[in-house]
Amino acid sequence: MTARAQIFWTAGSIGVTCLLVLGWQLVADYSGIPPVFLPGPDRAWNALVGGFSSGELLPLTEATVERMFYGWVLASLAGIVIGAIIGSSKIAREYVAPMLELVRPVPVSAFMPVVIAIIGLSGGMILIVIALGAIWPVLLATVYGVSSVEPRLIEVSRVLRLNRMQTLWKIALPNSMPDILAGMRIGLTVSLVLAVIGEMLTSESGLGFHVLVAARAFRSADLFAGVILLGLIGLVSNVAVQEIERYLLRWKRR
Amino acid sequence: MKLLKASLLPAFLLVIWEIAMRANNVQSDSLAAPSQVAIAFWNALFDGTIFSRTAETLRAAMLGLALGGGSALILSIFLGLVPPAARLAQFSIEVLRPVPAVALIPVAILTLGFGYGMEIALVAFATFWPILIYGMAAIVNIDQQLLDLARVLRLGAYARVTKIVLPATLPRYFVAFRLSMAVSLIIAVTVEIAANPLGIGYELMQASQSLHPALTFALVIWVGFIGFLLNSVLLFAQQRLFGPAGATMVAAP
Amino acid sequence: MTGNAATTAQPARSVGAPLIEFRGISHHFGSREIIRDVNFSIRESEFVCLIGPSGCGKTTLLRMLGGLLTPTAGQVLFGGKPVTAPEKEISFMFQDYSKALLPWRTAGGNVSLALEANGVPAAQRGPRIAELLKKVNLANHADHFPAQLSGGMQQRVQIARCLAQEPSVLLMDEPFGALDAMTRQSLQDEILKLIAVSRTTVLFVTHDLEEAIYLGDRVVALYPNPGRVAQVFDVKLPSPRDQLTTREHPEFLRLRREIFDFVREVEHEAP
Repeated sequence: MTARAQIFWTAGSIGVTCLLVLGWQLVADYSGIPPVFLPGPDRAWNALVGGFSSGELLPLTEATVERMFYGWVLASLAGIVIGAIIGSSKIAREYVAPMLELVRPVPVSAFMPVVIAIIGLSGGMILIVIALGAIWPVLLATVYGVSSVEPRLIEVSRVLRLNRMQTLWKIALPNSMPDILAGMRIGLTVSLVLAVIGEMLTSESGLGFHVLVAARAFRSADLFAGVILLGLIGLVSNVAVQEIERYLLRWKRR
Repeated sequence: MKLLKASLLPAFLLVIWEIAMRANNVQSDSLAAPSQVAIAFWNALFDGTIFSRTAETLRAAMLGLALGGGSALILSIFLGLVPPAARLAQFSIEVLRPVPAVALIPVAILTLGFGYGMEIALVAFATFWPILIYGMAAIVNIDQQLLDLARVLRLGAYARVTKIVLPATLPRYFVAFRLSMAVSLIIAVTVEIAANPLGIGYELMQASQSLHPALTFALVIWVGFIGFLLNSVLLFAQQRLFGPAGATMVAAP
Repeated sequence: MTGNAATTAQPARSVGAPLIEFRGISHHFGSREIIRDVNFSIRESEFVCLIGPSGCGKTTLLRMLGGLLTPTAGQVLFGGKPVTAPEKEISFMFQDYSKALLPWRTAGGNVSLALEANGVPAAQRGPRIAELLKKVNLANHADHFPAQLSGGMQQRVQIARCLAQEPSVLLMDEPFGALDAMTRQSLQDEILKLIAVSRTTVLFVTHDLEEAIYLGDRVVALYPNPGRVAQVFDVKLPSPRDQLTTREHPEFLRLRREIFDFVREVEHEAP
């Protein structure tokens, strides 16, 4: 498709979104549903702008984003290291991997009450739960990637007489990069979700708790503003990771 | 032999855990030994609460999946077969998709109150996207020759969809459906833990807050088991229905 | 000896003492006998080609010398000592270049891998990589990824990586088999040029009989099922080789006929 056609369709696509927003506004204004239950985009926007200019929303946003980010980084590092160890050792794969498969289907949010009970309500607890939840996609992707290196490359590493560490670092891990990056992308989504739930459950300061309180107090405009903000965080973080992924994997394209 | 090796480490860990609890004679509000967990689980099983609560969760999850998955199926067929529509919908999809379903919990509480309604709605929202995305990809990847065949046979829209499009994409839809099933369960339990007073998630929160660690642990394991069971059943069905062709089509995370 | 220099048999290249020896090599895989009692030696700076139909174990023998495989009986000796693992002095070149190069590293990065493996300090790597890539005429492609290079170029990257080890022996497993005829010929000449300077010993496995004669000082032909040495042909062609004149040389044609006849006989022979 030509560049001009591309722009045309993108503009049209944005236009459709604007129509939906307009539709929302019309429903809010004319359907008779009280604004307490369905605020129009204008109210939500005002709440959003007001929240930032009053300085209220910024620290909350920062808190949530920081949790999400640090939890994600921690989970990714741990996932890669543990995954590399498990993936590169035949013994580990036979004894440890099956156990991982059992733990995987448990919704991480189900772990949360347990962890709350053991560690207690705190910001640190949320971080640990986020890490525990976000580690799985990265861990599993790393184990898979490291244990399924192209056999020919293993022979190359033997012929060049690379030791185990070198083989892992120079060949197995880079080889797993596509899988690991995909796992990290999923992990980021999980991190955001767990950050929000964590805040809701522990009443820690953050957007998650903020929207819950807004709902209970029937401040629907603030509620919608907060939800939009969370959606934006999800969108921006996803796009950012995708771009980084594209750069790191540029060797794949002809 | 493989099974033996696989169970060695977990068995070992369980024994250590049991010994550690007993040796220190720990009477804790937050920790429980494996034996206590087993007992609590057994009791709850006979109590009947586990089953009724699980049924509630599954009811909400399945209804939500039907609603979200069903509408996604229809929309994905339309968008997949009409590329201009897909292009126009692109931006809206990209904007709405990343909204975490959990962020909408308060919205659902506000508009629908507590109970089945809000949970079904949230599950529907969460399961809508995977099926939409995978479905559109599946439709777009249909062998062009099959679509040409539909045109040559002058099939009407309805016949084209039911006789050609759906059968051709069924394996991929099934995989997407299996993934969404896992999502539906996770969201349902999460919503119950976070706010909704029904289902197994709520039971779990109750146990935790009334300081019954053994029961809490038992329920966590139970939830995991249900998820594992559902996924295994669907995986088995997938392999029976579609054979190896289905498994290789989509790389499931 | 009088007469036309072109028709007189002349020693191809000056070779030295025996460097490599295959002594009593037999190999079983499960209950299948792959190789039976193979014996031959290779002298320093010699270019030996291994040929034979499928099932003659020529790649297996190559891999044994490469340290990738241990024979079930017999020994492969390098410099008098048995080969048990890949040697620093022996480099190996694979046929499937797309799988043997690291796709996430540039051409320069791939060559660098060999230098890193040999513990060359980072500061020295740059100039050496540049020099090696220049030798294989890839100086302008140092920053390209394998996916952006043609088959011939990728194989040249592999050559450069092998040379980075500064090996005394080069093992090549049908390296040009997957390339088109023109690329194959130009790479054949490049290899000859490169090793002429460094006087590297080469063991070259190929399906292409003419290639074997063109490149080699000696051609070892193997029977299949199980692999046994059938015949060793001395290639007395003048050096340096030339794609046109050498291939029209009477000695070349004679050898070609002899080896073709041999192979045809082998293929009719009962296993």
